[in-house]
Amino acid sequence: MKSLKLWILLMIASLGVQSAFSQVRSPLSLNVDYSIAQPFGSLKDYTNKTSFRGWRAGLQYHLNDQLAIGLRTGFQEFYEKLPRAVYSDKSGDISAVQTRTLQVTPILATVQYQLSKPDAAVIPYVGLGVGTANMVYNKYWGQFSERYNSWQFMASPEVGINVPFGKGSPVLLNASLQYNFAPYSQQEITNFNVIQANVGLKVHIN
Amino acid sequence: MKRVMLVTCALMGIVLSFSSCGKDPLKDMTAEESRIYITNHADSTDFTSFKTFSIADSVVVASNTNNDGRALTDYDKKLIADVTSALEARGYTLVSRTSKPDLAVNLTRIDNSYSAIIYDPGYWAGYGGYYDPFYWGYPGYGYYWPTYYQVYQNERAVSIDIVDLKHPVNNNLVAVWNALMRGTGVWSIDNVDKMVSAVFAQSTYLKTTN
Repeated sequence: MKSLKLWILLMIASLGVQSAFSQVRSPLSLNVDYSIAQPFGSLKDYTNKTSFRGWRAGLQYHLNDQLAIGLRTGFQEFYEKLPRAVYSDKSGDISAVQTRTLQVTPILATVQYQLSKPDAAVIPYVGLGVGTANMVYNKYWGQFSERYNSWQFMASPEVGINVPFGKGSPVLLNASLQYNFAPYSQQEITNFNVIQANVGLKVHIN
Repeated sequence: MKRVMLVTCALMGIVLSFSSCGKDPLKDMTAEESRIYITNHADSTDFTSFKTFSIADSVVVASNTNNDGRALTDYDKKLIADVTSALEARGYTLVSRTSKPDLAVNLTRIDNSYSAIIYDPGYWAGYGGYYDPFYWGYPGYGYYWPTYYQVYQNERAVSIDIVDLKHPVNNNLVAVWNALMRGTGVWSIDNVDKMVSAVFAQSTYLKTTN
């Protein structure tokens, strides 16, 4: 709730003081991206498949021509179905078709630094997101679900580019690569390590 | 700017509808894939020390209604025949119940279609009227291993118990092997061959030499 209030204040402030900035675009922007994610480390032992089911969306407030702060959320699902096999554990030997899923919903505070001026044709940037992520681990043994739901700390450094659709355009193409880390431990998973590619739009809002 | 907002909203809508919800594994699952076969055995048991077995002449139907009892449907006959064949293929000899077999085999169909109960074979096996308490000459039997699984509401399952008749403990028998088959279609006669074959295939230790 505090974050929401902060953002409402920021939005109101942006309307009032926008003219005071020398920025090419309005300070408040919205971005929506489609995301693809590749698991690494122990997460790969759980599900080895690249996730094509993901998105992220965020709001950013540009403090000046290069620095922006924001909030970002999203969704990514890892999903892998394994053929029938026998697994041995404390419950005995279990023959099952396993369907392994992990759904990740982060809520991150972000900071972004643009490496060129806003009127450049291509605007590279570096960024960092820090916050929490909801992790829903759901392993199906046949039709029977083994489910764990938890919240974890998440850090997410990022590099990317914004390409305006014309000089001074409020609409920019966004492409980026980010690394997501969470000290997440559940069954086979000892850490959450993911490289995520994003492509989408960034729109400066009046 | 209005157009930009519209495009943004449309894009957001497309992205959200495309992947906001997770994929449901149950919608992408056949009946065969839905089934799981759990086997458990006593680590200390040397299965080669047993030579003969006898199998119950009917199948217990354990349910959460008042219709518990024994049954001998075509399904049950096939289950008895398949388990018998599987044990014979592992070197054990079928003998009658009165011929002092080394092992006893009990078969149970569990019907939990009406309300939730926890299936705990260590609790009910041999008690509560499911079995004739002295069918095998003893008041009941327990298990060497703890049971972790439970049967869910609206579920049917099938259980096979192999009980050691040679070494009663404190005048009680102990099961040395259990198989539990769960999932869609476990009460279908068409699946008996595959299920029995699977639980024996994953229990390679269950064999003897003549």
